[in-house]
Amino acid sequence: MLSILSPTNSKLASKRGSSLQMQWGRIGIYGFLLVTALFFLLPLYVMLVTSFKGLDEIRLSSIFAMPQEFSWDYWKIAWSSACTGLECSGLKVGFWNSVKILIPSVIISVMFGAINGYALSFWKIKGANILFACLLLGAFIPYQVFIYPLIRVYAEIGIYGTLTGVVVSHVIFGMPIMTLLFRNYYSTLPLELFNAARIDGAGFFKVFFVIMLPMSTPIIIVAVIMQVTNIWNDFLIGLVFAGSDNLPMTVQLNNIVNTTTGERAYNVNMAATILTSLVPLIIYVASGRWFVRGIASGAVKG
Amino acid sequence: MIKIIFFCTVIALVTSPLMAKEEAEVMHWWTSGGESAAIKVLADAYEAEGGSWKDSAVAGGSNARSAAINRMIGGSPTTAALFNTSQQYHEMIAEGMLNNLDSIAIANQWDEILPKPTLDAIKVDGHFYAAPINIHMPTWFWYSKKAFRKAGIVKEPQSIDELFVVLDKLKASGVIPLALGGQKWQENLLFMAILSNVGGKQLYLDVLNKRDANTLNSPAFNKVVEMFLKLKPYVDTGSPGRNWNDTTSLVINDKAGIQVMGDWAKGEFTQARKRPNRDYGCFAGLGSDSLYIVGGDVFVFPKTDNKEQILAQEKLVETMLNPLTQIRFNRLKGSIPVRTDIDVSSMGRCAQLGSRILKDESRQVPDGSMLMESYRYGSLKDAITEVWNSRDMSTQKAVKILAQALQG
Amino acid sequence: MNVIAIQVHLKRNSFAYLAALPMALTVFVAYMGTMFWSVRLSFSSSRMLPKDDFVGFAQYERLFNTSRWISSLENLLLIAFLFLAICFVLGFLLSVFIDQKIKAESFFRTVFLFPYAMSFIVTGLVWQWIFNPQLGVQKTVQALGWESFKFDWIVDPDMVLYTVVIAAVWQGAGLVMALLLAGLRGIDDDLWKATKIDGIPAWRVYISIILPMLRPMIITTVVLLSISIIKMYDVVVAMTGGGPGVASEVPAKFIMDNLFERANIGIATAASTVMLSTILCLIAPFIYSNYIKKQGR
Repeated sequence: MLSILSPTNSKLASKRGSSLQMQWGRIGIYGFLLVTALFFLLPLYVMLVTSFKGLDEIRLSSIFAMPQEFSWDYWKIAWSSACTGLECSGLKVGFWNSVKILIPSVIISVMFGAINGYALSFWKIKGANILFACLLLGAFIPYQVFIYPLIRVYAEIGIYGTLTGVVVSHVIFGMPIMTLLFRNYYSTLPLELFNAARIDGAGFFKVFFVIMLPMSTPIIIVAVIMQVTNIWNDFLIGLVFAGSDNLPMTVQLNNIVNTTTGERAYNVNMAATILTSLVPLIIYVASGRWFVRGIASGAVKG
Repeated sequence: MIKIIFFCTVIALVTSPLMAKEEAEVMHWWTSGGESAAIKVLADAYEAEGGSWKDSAVAGGSNARSAAINRMIGGSPTTAALFNTSQQYHEMIAEGMLNNLDSIAIANQWDEILPKPTLDAIKVDGHFYAAPINIHMPTWFWYSKKAFRKAGIVKEPQSIDELFVVLDKLKASGVIPLALGGQKWQENLLFMAILSNVGGKQLYLDVLNKRDANTLNSPAFNKVVEMFLKLKPYVDTGSPGRNWNDTTSLVINDKAGIQVMGDWAKGEFTQARKRPNRDYGCFAGLGSDSLYIVGGDVFVFPKTDNKEQILAQEKLVETMLNPLTQIRFNRLKGSIPVRTDIDVSSMGRCAQLGSRILKDESRQVPDGSMLMESYRYGSLKDAITEVWNSRDMSTQKAVKILAQALQG
Repeated sequence: MNVIAIQVHLKRNSFAYLAALPMALTVFVAYMGTMFWSVRLSFSSSRMLPKDDFVGFAQYERLFNTSRWISSLENLLLIAFLFLAICFVLGFLLSVFIDQKIKAESFFRTVFLFPYAMSFIVTGLVWQWIFNPQLGVQKTVQALGWESFKFDWIVDPDMVLYTVVIAAVWQGAGLVMALLLAGLRGIDDDLWKATKIDGIPAWRVYISIILPMLRPMIITTVVLLSISIIKMYDVVVAMTGGGPGVASEVPAKFIMDNLFERANIGIATAASTVMLSTILCLIAPFIYSNYIKKQGR
């Protein structure tokens, strides 16, 4: 019965004429995928319908019910007029702050990941393995523990509360995973490639920029997607290091959503969440295929 | 940061000598609608005095407080930062991180006009380190008049025994007798309500302040714990994790009888267009001599040598404690003015009731967070939630768990 | 190696060392520095602000006398086991099924992957609603006529952890699916032809041939999932707040609460030191054998 599970089977099956067993197998596969997809979509569905309902309707109707009076108002409020303290200009301010943080952070952290991975896989650096092991271990420490010492160091060198401070933090915290990705990717590339270039007299950076980087597109896509998601969804680093002028969107989302003593506008909250997640969501939808392809191209081999 | 502010101020001074605006950056966690409206009163008052208010709001008390502390450690403190009237900022005082407010406090006779629990929380070694702006009483009893009528209850309970009679009647009438949001801090409020109402002033203070074995093993404390646990069957199964305002809406919609919640709950009733005394009722405790737990909010002022900032800090304190500002601010915040020398006749019924009780010094007790360090208070909350949520919790075992947290 | 050889080595690789400098700085200043700093503080009496004194193991003693910490650890063990197992099985099944040349592949892939892009700040709230007996699934099913239907895990101290696992799996399974799918796509068609000829049933091929071939993917998956387990915080805060009681508390939340709200740096750093040394013991051999030892290419 499980013979339907081989990928080439469907082709073979159509050649042979489909057997009943195989039909049932396909139905089983689709059934499983559909049920699982429903489970995955359920929270998104609840969020969407809630974001269009009035508060009274939310209070009275089932959370799964479709909105009776459909309204875009809460999306507008979330984007442009929800209050966080005295500021009543919604998420849009934070959106641009997040963009300001996102772009340099992603570029620099991916760049460092690539250079680290390249140095680790092709060059003989003493103690590199230990360094890499420590880096990976560091990924397991809760961020919160870093905060105090980093604030001290940042204040010392004068980047506390600045855009530079946030970017540096994202580079630091992104480094383990980024390095891991690129190191694994480069270790699948043939060593001969590197040796040939070296014999031609190319130096460290020349080999990197001329040979390695152009071959890295798939893994760069994976790395960018992961970093965009992580950095865009970050709350803590932005809150602590960004200073009051660069607070990212998630801090405002949290301001809108997490009120301790005050009324909660669930519809606005849901709209705000979906708006906040939009950037990574769009990237996933647009490049999901590249994501899988990137990993598939040998990206994540151990 | 300070340098930049200073620099800007210098430029401003040079270019237009008449516009000496003290910019005050204020860190707080009041982000919801009602809270925002309340903080706006303070901001407007400050700007009316010629200052310029820079708002730094971060949702969640502990988020905002740690952001304020981080800014101090990072060397770019805000002008003022919101804390609860408690011991949260006492270590900062000990480390010399806060400016003291003695000159304003003495000039305005804070010793006379502030309630003693508040005074104790802001005054360390004879110096004033924080500007209190309101008094919150965290354990009001809110009830639905309709639910009471339906259950045949004619008057508010005056003792713990009467409370249980009321709860039984409510249960019999088919509503949720006691609406509780099962989050740590809400369970803590319920415990504090029982401790103050059943235990009385001396026991309340001994349990939370002295925390000695004698008190914690006493029959009186035993009874408090027993009564607390006895409330559990009156709470519905949907309780765990429920937000306080969703819980209040159960009372608003007459699905539940009573909720124990702070005075800020009034805003929910007002917003649902419910009228005090007609649709809902409020009482501060059981009996005519019940205690009034004094909580509230304060602003602290991080240490700085910048003259402009010190001026801004002083101006902030002056405006915040201005009687008119106090009334306006507290009406929106749901709390009552921190100054006992203000006429509150323009405030709501529950607030007036609260102010009246507060005048009687023998009925004032400080909130638990003023009586112990944050970490100990946190452990106590853990213990309370553990005791409340465990199945088959005996009074004896509960007393032991609570005592361990209080003494640990 | 003599001095000259070292000099030659350094000269030939000078740019490599230069390039590795940021990484070395990150490791030494940010990671190692922080680690030592927090281990040091765990032996002090620090509360709101770091202190320089030395109190021995007092914080550790307090830590292990705290029942909330003990239950946090127990909870994490259960969560880790279930989360890893379910994520892996579900992710593997999804990737195998998606790999069957199905229609609407990109739709399914996106659906399974999108939760990874969303933060739990609010999705936690939605899950709370869904599980809430008076709002979510239970109420809806009862309203459809099945009066006795009960689904109240989130308010049941014995069951609440499973709801946390469900929400966490919702977020993490897609990543496993993507990683394993990538692995499956890398497998040669010839393998299928060969097993076909030998008449081996497909499920056996998957279990005894494909799975071992996916080992590198699986290792990466385990590393990524473990990191998210250790740091698990948002989902618990947004969904259960650690309750009912302490039934769904986790270590990261314990550390966070003590570091900030409770102004208790001493015990927070002690807790993170315990976590760190546990990870060191569990993960270090794993990292060593998978990343360091077989570095030979």
